[in-house]
Amino acid sequence: MIGLVDANNFYVSCERVFDPALEGKAVGVMSNNDGCIIARSAEMKAMDIPMGIPSFKLESLRRRGDIYLKSSNYELYGDMSARLCQLLRDTCPAVSPYSIDEMFIYLEEFTDKQCQILGEWLRRRIRRHLGLPVCVGLAPTHTLAKLANHLAKESPHYQGVCLLSAQSATTMALLKQTPVGSVWGIGHRLAERLAINDIHTAWDLREMDIQQLRKRYSVVIARTALELRGTPCLHMNALDQPRHRIMTSRSFGQPSGVKTEVHNALRRHAQRSAEKLREQRSLTRAVMIFLNTNRHRRDQPQYFPHAMVPLPSPSDDTRTILEAVHQGLEQIYRPGYKFMKAGVILLDLVDAEQYQLSLLHQPPRNRHPYLMATLDTINQRMGQGTISFGMTDAKAAWQLRCAHRSNRYTTRWDELMQAGTHPGAIQECAARK
Amino acid sequence: MPFPPSPVVPTLPLTFQPLPYSSLQGRAGFSGFPSPAQDYEPRTLDLNTRLIKNPTQTFYLSATGDSMEGWGIFDGDLLVVDRSIKPRLGHILVAMFEDEVLIKRYALYLGTPHLCSAHPHYPPLPLEGTNCQLWGVVRAVIHEYLR
Repeated sequence: MIGLVDANNFYVSCERVFDPALEGKAVGVMSNNDGCIIARSAEMKAMDIPMGIPSFKLESLRRRGDIYLKSSNYELYGDMSARLCQLLRDTCPAVSPYSIDEMFIYLEEFTDKQCQILGEWLRRRIRRHLGLPVCVGLAPTHTLAKLANHLAKESPHYQGVCLLSAQSATTMALLKQTPVGSVWGIGHRLAERLAINDIHTAWDLREMDIQQLRKRYSVVIARTALELRGTPCLHMNALDQPRHRIMTSRSFGQPSGVKTEVHNALRRHAQRSAEKLREQRSLTRAVMIFLNTNRHRRDQPQYFPHAMVPLPSPSDDTRTILEAVHQGLEQIYRPGYKFMKAGVILLDLVDAEQYQLSLLHQPPRNRHPYLMATLDTINQRMGQGTISFGMTDAKAAWQLRCAHRSNRYTTRWDELMQAGTHPGAIQECAARK
Repeated sequence: MPFPPSPVVPTLPLTFQPLPYSSLQGRAGFSGFPSPAQDYEPRTLDLNTRLIKNPTQTFYLSATGDSMEGWGIFDGDLLVVDRSIKPRLGHILVAMFEDEVLIKRYALYLGTPHLCSAHPHYPPLPLEGTNCQLWGVVRAVIHEYLR
C-alpha cells in the first residue's frame, strides 16, 4: 500500500499553530509581495473567495475584520514541513516528500486493516504533536492514493482517512464520478484530447486497452491507466524528472524604472536559476529575460519587452548566464517606464552528462565546474545568497514586501511565540514597552 | 530522496541546531602516537541532547509576565516545550485558553483540574466549561543571567 499524507490548507494551518486567534476565522495567505491569495482556510473557501484573487480586492473585508490576511512566511512553512516529514520517517518504513505539504509513505507488508489503523493513528499524532490537520489517502498506487486523499478531504464521513482497494465497489463508483482531467498527471489539454475519444471519466480511462492508449497517446497515459487499475508503475524518481525550462521571476516590492535596480533584480534571478539548473544537472542553451510594467495602471506608459539570448554553447556557468542577461537588458531596456516585474527563464535544457559524453559536440567553453560546485555548496550550507556575483543592494526595490508576515517562530530566536503567565499578561507587557 | 525543487529553502529548525563544538580531537602532538583518549570518542557535552528529547516535536517559546515566578519562571525566560508528552498533574503546560497562549501549572483545585498560577492575584482557571486546548508540556525553563 502507498499512502499520501496531505496537510489541509497547509499554509493557513501553520499560521494557526502559533496564533490561536486565527482558529475558526476566515484566513488567507498571500503570495510573494502580498500580490494575491495563494492559500485559503475552509472558512474563506465557504465565503466563495477564489484562489488567486488580488489582495487589494479583499482590503475592505480585511479592514472590517471579516477576514485575516497573512504574508507568506516561507521559513515557518518550510520548518513545519521538515518536521512533518521527520515525524513520518520516525514511524513509517519509507517516506518520500512530494511537495511542501504532501508526503508519500510506503507500507509494504501491511494488510489493509493495518494500513487503515496506521493512517488514523498518524493523523491523530500529527494533529497533536505538530498541531497540523492532515488527511491520509491509502491505495495500491500513487495515482489511486492521490484520489483517495482527495476523497478523504471532501467527504466528512471518512474522517480524514480513506483507503481505496483496486477492485472494490467504492473505487469503481468513485472512478466513474471522477472527470479524467482530475486524475493525477492528466492536464487540461490532454483531457480535451481524451474527450474526443469518449474518455470522460477516470473509469473510462481505466477500461481502455493499454496498447491502444500507448499507441494513440503516450506511455505516460498508458501507465496512468494501469495505475488506476491498481498496478503500480509510477516510481518516485519518475515524478521529479528534471524540468525542461527553469523560470525565476518576481514582482518588485515597488515599481522601479532605474536601470541598475532592474539589472540587480535580473542578476539575482539569474543566479537562482543557474543554481536550479546545476541542481538538476542540466545545461541551458538560451536565456530569456522579460520585464513587465503594471498592466492595471492605464495612466502609465506600458511596455512588456522580452529578449532571448542564445548561448554560444550550452552552459551552467552563472557568469555566462549573467553575461547573457546583461546583453538582453541592453537590448530591451528603455528609460521612462515603471517596471513591476522582472524574470529570467532558462530554455532548451540538455542533460549535462549526456552532452559531455557526445563526441559530436564541442566541449562547453569557459567551464569552471569546481568554482560553481563550491559556490552551490556554500550557499546551501550558509543560506541562499551568502556568496553571489556582483553587489546586490539590500534596500533595493525588488526586495520582498511582506507587511503582514507572522513571526518566524521556529527559526529566529527573536521571533519566538509568547506565552503569558496569566490572562492579559502579553498585552500588559506590550503596553509597558 | 531529496525534496523536489520548491521555492522554499527550509532554514534549520532551532531545535536541531547542534553545539558548534561536537567533538574534541584526541591527538598527542606530532609524534604519531595515538592519544590514549582516542578510544573514548570524546564528545563535549551537548545541552540539546539533555534538554531536547524529541526535536521534531519540540518548540521554543518565551514567557511573558510575573505570575509564575513562584515556580521559577520569570519574564523573558526561554521555554522548551515538547508537544509529544502526555500531560499529567503537576506538569507546567502551555495551553490555548480563550484565544490566549498561557503558561500554567496543571493541578487539582477543589478536586477538579485547573490551570494554576503561582501568584495570589490570579485565581486558578477551571478547565471544565472553558475553551481550553493543550498546546504542549514544558520540559525545561532556561533563565539567562547574562545576555
